[in-house]
Amino acid sequence: MRTMILAAAAAIAMGAAGAAQAAESWGLPNEEKARFEAKAVDVLCELTGDCPDNCGDGSRQMGLLMDDGTLIMPLKNQVIFAGAAWELAPFCGQRVIADGLFSENRGHRVFALQFVRPAPDGKWRRANRFKNRWAESQGLPADSPKANKWFRHDPLVEKVLEEDGKLGLGPEADEAYLGQE
Amino acid sequence: MALRMTSALAAIALAFTLGQPSQSEAAQRVQVTGEVIDSWCYLTQIMYAQGTAHHQCAVWCAAGGVPVAIRSAEEEVYFILKIGDDGQNVANPRVLEMQTHKITVDGDLYERDGMKYLVVDRVVDDTGIVNETHQDFGIQPFGE
Repeated sequence: MRTMILAAAAAIAMGAAGAAQAAESWGLPNEEKARFEAKAVDVLCELTGDCPDNCGDGSRQMGLLMDDGTLIMPLKNQVIFAGAAWELAPFCGQRVIADGLFSENRGHRVFALQFVRPAPDGKWRRANRFKNRWAESQGLPADSPKANKWFRHDPLVEKVLEEDGKLGLGPEADEAYLGQE
Repeated sequence: MALRMTSALAAIALAFTLGQPSQSEAAQRVQVTGEVIDSWCYLTQIMYAQGTAHHQCAVWCAAGGVPVAIRSAEEEVYFILKIGDDGQNVANPRVLEMQTHKITVDGDLYERDGMKYLVVDRVVDDTGIVNETHQDFGIQPFGE
């Protein structure tokens, strides 16, 4: 029995280690797991030649430029309601291995970045830098409850929603709608 | 002598090439009208992602750096990469404040690998939020 428990624990541990290196299904439309090598680029720079230093240090949408010239702008990372710019900005101009999901829907093929590592054999990292960065900017630990629900505590979000309401029609419209529910 | 000049010219050409972005695209002047949307939720349809029902989530996603786009009446999706002189296209406060608005913009369109990217010169018109969907779809995704 003890051997079986130890074997199960080892399997779980190995599974967890494997998960850190392989895309995880999110049940997206026409989902396809993918791993590929590409150069991390500033999308605006790539298209127009408007190129700040360090790809704008996280202020610019980042893309993955493949050797055949295909440009992929990831829309998502592994943090709830967050994109991939801050995941790739530290790799500006460098080659990386990207691991994640393509989804084809509404005439677009979009990519969610789940893991990334420096090419050719750097250490894998989950694409969740955003949360650490947000927590640091707020003076909070990355594992704090507020960081886990960053979208409910972000100062810019709070300002916009306070002024415009959840529906965007003003606080009175929110009150009328939420009051009738 | 000719060989040396050719080499020097090649070196100069290489130096200029290295200082430039790897590939610039030809742009097309356009005027686009549509609703400002959160591209991820709309394109993956992981939830209903249009109008007032999705406004709060669209603000969250824009603040989180998910690319913001304009959805035209023809259901074309144009990713906003720049507005005026402002090249910040991650969590740009001005763009956050336009989420879900119906806007008309003038700008340059770059098409690459099935995606449409917009460099906006100016917002010609902003009629605010006109797509009221919350009565039919509630508040997405948590109902509050």
